Amino acid sequence: MSIRRLFSILVKEYRHILREPRTLWMVFLSPAFVLIALSTVFASGSGRINLVLWDQDHTPLSRQFATTLSSDNDFSVGRASGYEEVETLLVEQRIDAALIIPPGFADTVQSGDSASVQVILDGVDTLVAGQTTGSLLGHAADFGLALSRQLSLPPLPLQVRSQSAYLPSTAERESMIPGLIPIVFSLPVMAAALALARERETGSLESLIATPVRGLEYLGGKLIAYVTAALVGLLPVWLVATLLFGVPFRGNPLLLVVLAADFLLASVGMALFVGNVAHSQQTTTVIALFIFFVPGFFLAGLIDPIDTTDLPGTAVSYALPSTHFVTICRALFLKGASLAEMWQPALALLVLSIAWVGLGALTFKKRMRQ
Amino acid sequence: MMNALNRIWGLVKKEFLQLGRDKLLLAFVLLAPLLELTLMGSLTGEGVQNLPLAVVDLDRSQASRELITRLDQTDELFIKAYGDSVAQAQEWMQAGQVAVIVVVPPGYGEALTDPQQSAEVQVVADGSNQVVSSAAIGTTENVAAEIVHDLTARHGVAGGGVVELRFVARFNAALDDRPNAITMMLALIVYQVTLVIAAQSLTRERELGTMEQLRVTPLGRLELMAGKTIPTLLVGLVNCLLMTGVIVLWFDVPMRGSLLLLLLLTIPFILAQIGWGTLISLISRTQQQAMLFVFALAMLEIACSGFLVPAGDLSGVMQALSCVSSIRHYMTIVRGVTLRGAGLGVLWQPALSLSGIACAVVTLAWLRLRLGLDADSLRQRLQVAWHVHQRRRRMRRVERRAKTARRHGVQKPRPTREPAYVDVRVEDQ
Repeated sequence: MSIRRLFSILVKEYRHILREPRTLWMVFLSPAFVLIALSTVFASGSGRINLVLWDQDHTPLSRQFATTLSSDNDFSVGRASGYEEVETLLVEQRIDAALIIPPGFADTVQSGDSASVQVILDGVDTLVAGQTTGSLLGHAADFGLALSRQLSLPPLPLQVRSQSAYLPSTAERESMIPGLIPIVFSLPVMAAALALARERETGSLESLIATPVRGLEYLGGKLIAYVTAALVGLLPVWLVATLLFGVPFRGNPLLLVVLAADFLLASVGMALFVGNVAHSQQTTTVIALFIFFVPGFFLAGLIDPIDTTDLPGTAVSYALPSTHFVTICRALFLKGASLAEMWQPALALLVLSIAWVGLGALTFKKRMRQ
Repeated sequence: MMNALNRIWGLVKKEFLQLGRDKLLLAFVLLAPLLELTLMGSLTGEGVQNLPLAVVDLDRSQASRELITRLDQTDELFIKAYGDSVAQAQEWMQAGQVAVIVVVPPGYGEALTDPQQSAEVQVVADGSNQVVSSAAIGTTENVAAEIVHDLTARHGVAGGGVVELRFVARFNAALDDRPNAITMMLALIVYQVTLVIAAQSLTRERELGTMEQLRVTPLGRLELMAGKTIPTLLVGLVNCLLMTGVIVLWFDVPMRGSLLLLLLLTIPFILAQIGWGTLISLISRTQQQAMLFVFALAMLEIACSGFLVPAGDLSGVMQALSCVSSIRHYMTIVRGVTLRGAGLGVLWQPALSLSGIACAVVTLAWLRLRLGLDADSLRQRLQVAWHVHQRRRRMRRVERRAKTARRHGVQKPRPTREPAYVDVRVEDQ
């Protein structure tokens, strides 16, 4: 292991990155741009929930319910009569839900019982269905509260006072952005995998084998070049998150840099492993997308938290560096956690970085001898 | 015509030979989609489950114990720890050990049975993950509603909410997340496989220098594109068919519409990806760049697809972008055919948009290939135009000066003329 040779490989890699404006842009700045693109999606939910109302009761009270519903900005309310019409509207995806006020609605309410309104939801997009359910429940509770005051009914025996820690419950975008940071760094990481596969495919690796540069020095140079390049890209990402989107950063910036370096080490190690195993750049790209793209969204705990009761699934999730970095980013940005409070994901990242870099180095040696 | 078909067939054969030679690529193109779909389909789609909960019971009555047991029995929550004080529970939350804290205040049991009073339970959810916090709050509210319901039945105490909503979900009665997630994955996997193959195949030829060999064959540009398109299209369709089989047979996603319609509408979806891929491969000089473009484009598409936020909630710019996102329209089609049993009469709008996008992108790619409008030749053309313009300007200035000089009768030495050739420096690759 010679530092001088490693350094010359490092310089060579940097020259590769710097000489092409497109590669330069992709490695340093693309994480920030992709973060902007993904985050603007979470702009304040202006979309309305499309409803139709079928009033079978035709009383002042049912009309009052309809009016309060229409005056709510979250809903755009149409009218319907008949199940067939509702069904057609649902199949054609023109509405998210249909409300049916049964006959006798007003009588039941006035007698002090709870009256039921039927809601037919479009259950296909569960994201939309969940949103619709929440909004309608909130609306029904408000309406019920106003009505029980009006009719002077006794208060509900049990109430839940909910509170959202660290961020208000409306700050969906702010809560999402730290979790997106790991996935936007897949771009420079995948560039490393291709840098390795490229040398093999275009044959420049063979000329390198003839030089005194050893496998470890070669791999180390590549690793350091791409990890440091991606770390430079962390600054624009951090600026985009905190300044552009106003995500609070409550933790220690130095800790973020150190843990990000660890995360990148693990990811680039994984990428180099992929680059070693694959025979061509095309194969590398396909494998890298399978490992980083879809699992990055579905397995890293970005949307649904990881269900730890499912053992094989948890094992796969935990082998991905981004799973731990999602936890770390959320804790650092939003909770201001210290290293002691997140030693588990930090330790996991350390173990993973050693494991993946080691695996990358092992597979590389074998291929050099062939 | 026959000759053209022959030439295309030759290229198609070559592409399949190449694909078959790289066993790993073949495995990742044909088997990995199924594997990934099965793995992730069984992992996701359960929704939020087993969130760690910390309970701070300051009442310690029978009623409070009943509440806690009910919370523990839900799918969404399980009790991880009992705290003595709120501060202690908050420390656990800070360390990420619990996601929800439920505080039962003293006097809870008495207030619950007293018709004049209203008992209160406090829920603190970890807002750093909004999916978790909203699920936790929702679950607690449901448990509270159950308790109220039981109380009304037991004691005849009035209440239970004045207006009760009864939800019935169509097409997906249990409001199961899985059909939603798994159809999304199907679209994403078809998307990534076809886009990568299309984007890398031309760039690869260029980077390895085999493009030059292809250029000297009688293969025309259109034939080249057709020959590159057909294998990708076939791979994409086979993928789609296999994965549809898996989601219908293995994951019990209903197939209420026609499979033929689904496959038919998959064609424009794949063609759009081939168009994008060809465009990318014409822009990028190396496969590394092509891959980065692919990833950036895929991120944009996923942002617009309605996977992260409902498509109706997107901001103005994103809303506009999402209209040209093929994945969004394809999602509507996949879910429409499988879950809703919709036919072409209902799905004509996304089908038309998808075909429009495919036509536009493929035409763009073809134009680009036809005119050779890659960045380098564009730069060269611009340079030439700039030099010509500069030269004309200088000539005009010289002529003007000469004219004024003649008018004033001043004899000036004739300025030397610019050289007639255009100096264009071509950068080495």
